[in-house]
Amino acid sequence: MKLAYYPGCVAQESGKELDMSTRWVCRALGIELVEFPNFSCCGSGFIDEANEVLNVALNARNLAIAEKAGLEMLTICSTCQGMLSLANLRFADPKVRARVDGALRPIGIEYRGTTKVRHLLDVLVHDVGLATIRAKVRRPLDGLKVGAFYGCHLLRPSDELGSESAEEPHSFEDLLAALGASPVYYRGRVMCCGFPIQFVKPDTASRIAGHQIDDAKAHGADAMATPCPLCHISLDAYQNRAEKAVGHSLDLPVFHLPQVVGLALGATPEELGLPRHLVPTEAALAKISPKAPA
Amino acid sequence: MPEETISATFDVYRFDPKTDSTPRFQRYTLELAPHTPVLTALLKIRSEVDPSLTLRYSCRSAICGSCAMRVNSKSRLACETQVGPEIARNGRIVVEPMRNQPVLRDLVVDQEPFWRQYDAIEPHLILDPRHPMPEGKENPMTPDQVERFRETPRCIACAACYSACPAVEADPGFPGPMALAKLYRFVVDPRDTAHQDRLLRIQPGGLWTCLRCHLCTEACPKDVRPSERIRDLKEMAIRVQGGTENGSRHAIGFKENIRERGVLSEAKLVRQTSGVAGMVGQLGQGVRIYRKKPEILKTPPKIEGLDEVRKIYEALDRKEEDAP
Repeated sequence: MKLAYYPGCVAQESGKELDMSTRWVCRALGIELVEFPNFSCCGSGFIDEANEVLNVALNARNLAIAEKAGLEMLTICSTCQGMLSLANLRFADPKVRARVDGALRPIGIEYRGTTKVRHLLDVLVHDVGLATIRAKVRRPLDGLKVGAFYGCHLLRPSDELGSESAEEPHSFEDLLAALGASPVYYRGRVMCCGFPIQFVKPDTASRIAGHQIDDAKAHGADAMATPCPLCHISLDAYQNRAEKAVGHSLDLPVFHLPQVVGLALGATPEELGLPRHLVPTEAALAKISPKAPA
Repeated sequence: MPEETISATFDVYRFDPKTDSTPRFQRYTLELAPHTPVLTALLKIRSEVDPSLTLRYSCRSAICGSCAMRVNSKSRLACETQVGPEIARNGRIVVEPMRNQPVLRDLVVDQEPFWRQYDAIEPHLILDPRHPMPEGKENPMTPDQVERFRETPRCIACAACYSACPAVEADPGFPGPMALAKLYRFVVDPRDTAHQDRLLRIQPGGLWTCLRCHLCTEACPKDVRPSERIRDLKEMAIRVQGGTENGSRHAIGFKENIRERGVLSEAKLVRQTSGVAGMVGQLGQGVRIYRKKPEILKTPPKIEGLDEVRKIYEALDRKEEDAP
């Protein structure tokens, strides 16, 4: 299958390992990524706070690029997924559409509102399919207990965006099980990571991140895995602050979604960018039972 | 024909601070019609099994907002949650008091923190005494004006949103979704004359602590959509007052950051939000991350078609609109 690849800002910058592992996994599963050097940032929820119509228009331009190419968009970030999907919904409001069209028409862009936005998690589970993935597993993640962490904008508002239950989603856990890992169910998996206020109210943000990491650990997780690079920043790069906020050591590795898939499909830690994590992943990798060849 | 019933197991949170040192869960199993509301089941337990079970309720019709509690971990009204679907989904029904408010006994919480935040936003029209309403005259509103706060008057103050909010959990000073949705209702009411003051006062008070996680909108039984109204307040606060807080500076900074290259320049954003002094505060963390991820200091290349992005900004975001 062929998709318009929308990596988002973080995966092209400090979260490069997400881009690396996405490319590795898509190559292994025969997903062709078509690149568009003219995609702009989704606004990450912040431009939406400053100027809602501007945010819809910027994303309508992105959506129009994929529409013109006749492709569905592939996101690898819960926030990009949420922002682009919400732009599609807001664009359907005639008042918003009139203003957006008014900004796009003079620069020769027309968006008809037809582009579907798909997150990698959705594509892996529903298009590639768990049976296909299971058949391609070379190194089952037996013995590894993983707490999925969805990220708000993949799930909510569920009446507008949700492709599955916002309270009890299971696509990520189903995927983890197909890879041989043991999914861990905990309250925090559908909660917020604190990222949106990491620069606004760092202490509050770190407490929130700490609560979720603590919760995953309390339920026995050896690692967390997230389909959102912003959650990854909060849970991995800022885990030292979360430790300070909750007052004890956490030391829980956090994988990006395609990294867990890549590990099971036989990629090396280096190919998946694992050495770039702030919380070392070796202890989690050591939990994977060595019975299968790497 | 007798109605079909199911066997429903309830695990109900029990705690009496006078006699218990820690909370416990008590199990009850009842034969019930699948459409039975959870509230009705709890009242049946109280009248037939255990008269000591304490809960708050009144109308039984999703109007009064008294019976909000957590049913299978979601904050919601017990009177409009049916037993059948919960058993089908979860196998049993776990009933707990709301979060973010101290438990008085069993399922009853002390709502004082919730109401204190509500009182603090001055939930009434503030009129300018210099321009009193002429005696006996009406104050008409256009349909468009009413449309702006169509959703918020539906709020029944059940506190389900307050219970679901992770920002309240981490920072009890945060006003919470309900108080902010109510504030919005007065800010857009054309009869109210304190719009600017209200926006000015709420910003340091915690408007920017909202995570836009939408857990409140998910919990709300009346579709008030507090997270979306908080977003509206943020945009209005920026339009009226510009970047007076970390939060508004971050939103404006992000918007300006994307105008420049089309994609985010991460290091620059920290400076735009926190200023030079703030950057110094982030230095230790920055160095820690830089050692693993040197890209944080690189300026990304401009996207192709940046001129299109800039023209969209010119059409929809004239800079002077940000000025106070």
